[in-house]
Order: sequence, then structure tokens, then C-alpha cells
Amino acid sequence: MTQSTSKARETILASIREHLAASAEHDHRVGIDHSSAAVTHSNGAALVALSRIDLFKTSLEAVNGHCVVARTELEIVQALTRIITELKHSQLNPRRIALSDAKPLEHLIGLVAVQMDVTIAPSSSDLFDIDIGITLAQAAIAETGTLVLDSSRERNRLISLVPPAHIAILEAGNLYSTLGETLAALQSDDEISPVVTFITGPSRTADIELTLAIGVHGPQELYVIIYDGPPLT
Amino acid sequence: MNHLTSETFDQNAKTALGDVQLRGALRNATSLFGERRREAAASLPNWEDLRSQARAIKDHTLSNLADYLEQFVNNAEARGVQFHWAPTAADANEIILAIATERGAHTVVKSKSMTTEETHLNDALEAAGLQVVETDLGEYIIQLAHETPSHIIAPAIHKTKKQIAELFTNELGIPPTDDIAELTKTARNTLRDRFAAADVGISGVNFGIAETGTILIVENEGNIRLTTSLPRIHIAVMGIEKVIPRFADVDVFLKLLPRSGTGQRLTSYQSFITGVKKNPEDEGPEEVHVVVLDNGRSRMLAHPLTRQSLACIRCGACLNACPVYQQIGGHAYGSVYPGPIGSVITPQLIGLQKASQLPYASSLCGACREVCPVKIDIPRLLLHLRAEITEQSPTRANKSIGERLAFKVWAQIMTRPGLYTLSTRLGRIFQGLFVREGKISDKPTTRMFTPLAAWTAARDLRPLDAISFRDRWSDGLKK
Repeated sequence: MTQSTSKARETILASIREHLAASAEHDHRVGIDHSSAAVTHSNGAALVALSRIDLFKTSLEAVNGHCVVARTELEIVQALTRIITELKHSQLNPRRIALSDAKPLEHLIGLVAVQMDVTIAPSSSDLFDIDIGITLAQAAIAETGTLVLDSSRERNRLISLVPPAHIAILEAGNLYSTLGETLAALQSDDEISPVVTFITGPSRTADIELTLAIGVHGPQELYVIIYDGPPLT
Repeated sequence: MNHLTSETFDQNAKTALGDVQLRGALRNATSLFGERRREAAASLPNWEDLRSQARAIKDHTLSNLADYLEQFVNNAEARGVQFHWAPTAADANEIILAIATERGAHTVVKSKSMTTEETHLNDALEAAGLQVVETDLGEYIIQLAHETPSHIIAPAIHKTKKQIAELFTNELGIPPTDDIAELTKTARNTLRDRFAAADVGISGVNFGIAETGTILIVENEGNIRLTTSLPRIHIAVMGIEKVIPRFADVDVFLKLLPRSGTGQRLTSYQSFITGVKKNPEDEGPEEVHVVVLDNGRSRMLAHPLTRQSLACIRCGACLNACPVYQQIGGHAYGSVYPGPIGSVITPQLIGLQKASQLPYASSLCGACREVCPVKIDIPRLLLHLRAEITEQSPTRANKSIGERLAFKVWAQIMTRPGLYTLSTRLGRIFQGLFVREGKISDKPTTRMFTPLAAWTAARDLRPLDAISFRDRWSDGLKK
């Protein structure tokens, strides 16, 4: 830290402390106790009686995402085939697929019977040419239909963002009910990863006449395959 | 073209009221946002509890702000974030410019940040020859149009798709279209090249989590993720008040902010950024800088009343609920932060003299307080600021004798029923001089009486009824 920075730091912190000290007499009058213990939380709303997977699906579909459930590895491959074929017949007209560096993906995509150019963990300059990005999701939140991507477990930051379509595979065991539970789980890791991204549906904007437009800077299509079976290899 | 100042608020408001297109756009936007907010709040059974919790967390943090700020900084520094401290807006701009130029940067991409609007960062960077590109669709539109945001969360709501189409045709050379999907696609494609070329990405900060040193930024478009992932340098600008103590506190604020702002349960993306990447070959910027801005904020800590201004999470709900904002929009306020919360924080940030009309831009109806997710008592703050303005007014010495006398007389009348009855009887007789078509309006006769004229200059006064309630009561209403 340079000397001027440390001086500015002291200036701001001293100004905060001084002004708070000046507030003490007023605070006393209105009964504010600065030392009061931090606030406790309630754990939010009770969940409706849906299974976590159903709740996730309903929530994601409410924000224009798609969700399928697979019970076996074969069903994942079938789902991938169906999604990629569907995209091939859409306006998107995809030619190239990119995978993150997550182990199971290369094996799975090898079983997909759709002829497409596949790149694993492309460079950021190459990314702008990719049409479909496939990643895992390290966790998800059922009550909001949210995917949780962890940058230290997979190279997923740009593949989930730059291509116009994103397909994510989530293991059902990593699906939490509420936002609160998910935050607690993230914090229980040894340390929080450099970047954790929550994704709820495709990229959207309503900046022109408040009319919803899907896919402004991020993907316009988001597919989630929930895998409810034995661990993937 | 629309760089109005707060000093001419009355005139700005009159101009805005004459703008039919603007008022139509505002009516649609504010009612839609308001409706969505109501539905979203109603979807949670414990909405009121959440508001109270959020406010309690903010109050606790602000009362211990220096400690939490230091905790935040220490934890983020331990993870490799470089901190810079800016007592003023000019300091912030200077720091950011120095970071950019020392590293040979040419192109800067920005995601939406009201704090950098406050420091007028773009002007400072452009003056030094840097190319600055706003990447939020709304911000991009107003940057192309050389305008300023008119709403905290929807910067371009004052513009029609037709105007935006014309703008894109002129500035980007696309064939004329008013298809919104097409316009959005144009912005996406144009901005992709900018993202690819940018050396520096500048973002705001929604929350700085002290316990972990994490920056949390909330969005829908994906431009914040691009801004904080692609360029080799990320600079985040945060006001000192953005700190929250614990990671678990995010739960409360992420329930309140999107619901209050756009009526969403969650926005499309939340980025939790904790330090810099671990290995050089990992994705993401090589350097993460945070610029901590005071710029008048710490002054607000000096009293519990003004301190609550710093609890604001910039959701924009009070703008949509405000009958004044609904009619005149954001530009008329002549300040970066418009609407009720703007009328509270602008005079505190830039000085009462420069924004003395803003605390009066309210009917004190309390709608802003009703919708505020952190329960800021905006009407009370407005009254407090009005009192301060009167206190500091240079004409106060001249006025005070007459004013004091008037209030003395008023107090005498209001505390003596006989005198009250007499004066209302007299009022009933003499108001005949002013009443036209059942109301007392701005007329040559009213203008002769200074106190009356001050009232009727901007609104009508309802005359006293021919028979008072007390008379009706004694005539048999009482049974």
C-alpha cells in the first residue's frame, strides 16, 4: 500500500468513527445500542409439498429455462442428444460445442449421436465462436430454480456465459431446498472459491420499454439435466 | 442534452410535466414495477419480518461501520484484492485512471454502477483519452444518446423503442427496425467486440461481505459477469455503506432486493467474487481492485436519523411508488439519484444549498416508506432536511418575526375553543372574497395575501364548509 492510500484509508475510517461518536448522544436518546449482538435469522418461508426436483423444475421453467431428469447415464446421453437436435433445428443453427474441463463431460458427449465440432475448455478468444456450452453445476437451489457454479471445481465461468446456449448437468444430491441452506453449504467449504455464480434462467433484459428480451449478453437458452442416479465417473 | 441540475428543480419539473410521451412511459413503467413488487412481496409469508431483519442488520453494521469495513478489507486483501481509498469522487476517478493508464489500458468496459455515475467517472476517463463503453443495455442506450439514467434500475425507461431504433440506426448503422429482440441482438453483437478488446472492466458492488471478504454483484443481462471475467483487470467501486457482516446475511438481502426492484424472485445472475484467481491459467482477471468511496457518506453517520439514508440497497421501489416521480421522472431531479431516496441523499451528498428544492419534491404521502425493503423513514428525513434548509436560510432572520407571530396567533386559536369557533365563523364570511367555483385558487385577490398566495401558487385550497362539523354535531348528528 502506498503512503497516500494508507493516508486516505485513515481519513475515511477516522471520519466514520468521528461521525459515529458524534451520534452517540442522539443514539442514547432513541435507545440504540452499538454493541448489540448481531441479528438472528429466521429460515424463510416453509416449502410447499413438492419434491426438491419438482420444485426446481417448476421454478426454472417459470423463468424460461428447461429442465429434464435423467436416472441413468444413458438417459443423460439421450437428453443431451434431444437437446442438441432441438437446438440444431432452431434459429440458433449451432455448429460448435464447447465443454468445460469437468471429467464426465467428455465421456458423455462422446456417446451423443449428433455430429458436431467439440472443443474442450477453449481459450477465451475461441469462445466467441462457440454455439453451445456444456458444464456441470456444483449445486442448485430448488425454491428459485438456481444453478450454483463454482470456479475452483470446474472451468465454467465463460463456457456457461458466452455461447448462446448453455446446458448444465446437476447431480440431484447437490440440490438444496432453499437459498439459506445453499449459502450455509457454500460457507462450510474450507474457503469460498474465487468466483461462485448463481444462474437463474437465461440472460434477460427489459431495458427497452420494459419488454422482456431473452439472451442479451448471456445465453438465450438454458437447459438443466438433473441426474438422479449413481455417481458419474 | 438533459444535464439538468437540482438547483432548477421547479423549472425542470414543469418542463417534464409538459412532456406527454415521458409521462406515458412513466405511467407504464412505475405501475408495472409497482404491481410486480406487490406480487413478489406477497409471495413470501414473512415479508415484514424480512424488512425488519434487513434494517436491523444495516443499523448494526452502520453503527459499527469502521470495524466491519476493516474486516471486509482485511479478508479480501488476504485473498489478493488490492484496495484503494477515495475520500472524494475526484480521488476515486484519479485512482481508477491511474490503475488503467499505469497498465497501458485503452478500452474500458463498464457494468451499471450508480456510484460511478455519482463520481462522473466516464467523463474523467474519456478526458484522459480512454475509450469507455457502458455494457448494460439501458446504460449503453443512454451513453449513445449522451444522456443520463432516469431510473436507478431501468436507466432508459424514458425512451421509446422508436427513439432507440433511430439512435441505433444513426450511431450503429443498422437498418431501421423497432423490433425489440432485434435491437437487443444488435447491442449484444456490437458489445461482444468491445468485451473482447477491453483491458479493464469496471463494476459496482451490491454487497461487500465482511466475514469472507466477498463482493456480491446482482444482474440480469450477463454483462457484469463478462465485465468481471474477460478483461485482465477488474476494478469494483463501492460506497463505504455497502458492507454487510456475514455471508448468511445474503439470504435476507437477496430475498428483498430483486423482489423490490423488478419483482423477480432472483435476478438471472449473482456473482460472488472472493479475491483473485488462484493459478495464472485459471479463468478471470489477473488483478482485482476495489475502490472504497466516502464522498460525503460518513457525514450521514453522525445522527441515527440521517444514518438510515446509508441503509439504502438501491432497489428503486420508492421511485415507482412516488406520486411525484411518477409524474416527472428521474431527469427533473437534476441529480444522479432521483426520486424519494434521491431527494434524501442528494442534499446530504452535494450540500443543502445546491439541492434545496429536492426535499420539497414530495407530498409526504409515505408511499416510499411503505415499499422500502429496509424501512427507511424517507418522509421524516425529508422533513428533517427541510428544517435544516430553513435553519440555514439567509432570509430566515427577516421572516422569523412574522412567522413567529403567525404561529403564536395560530397556537392561541387552536388552544381556545371559543376563539377557534369565532375565527372559523369569520373565515366563512371573508373567504367569499377568494372562492371561485368551489375552491380557492391562484387569483389576483389571493395573490394580495402573501401567506395565502404561497399556498395557492402550486395548489388549490378547499374552502370551509358552510356548516361546520361541530354545528352539525350539536344539531342532532350526535345520538
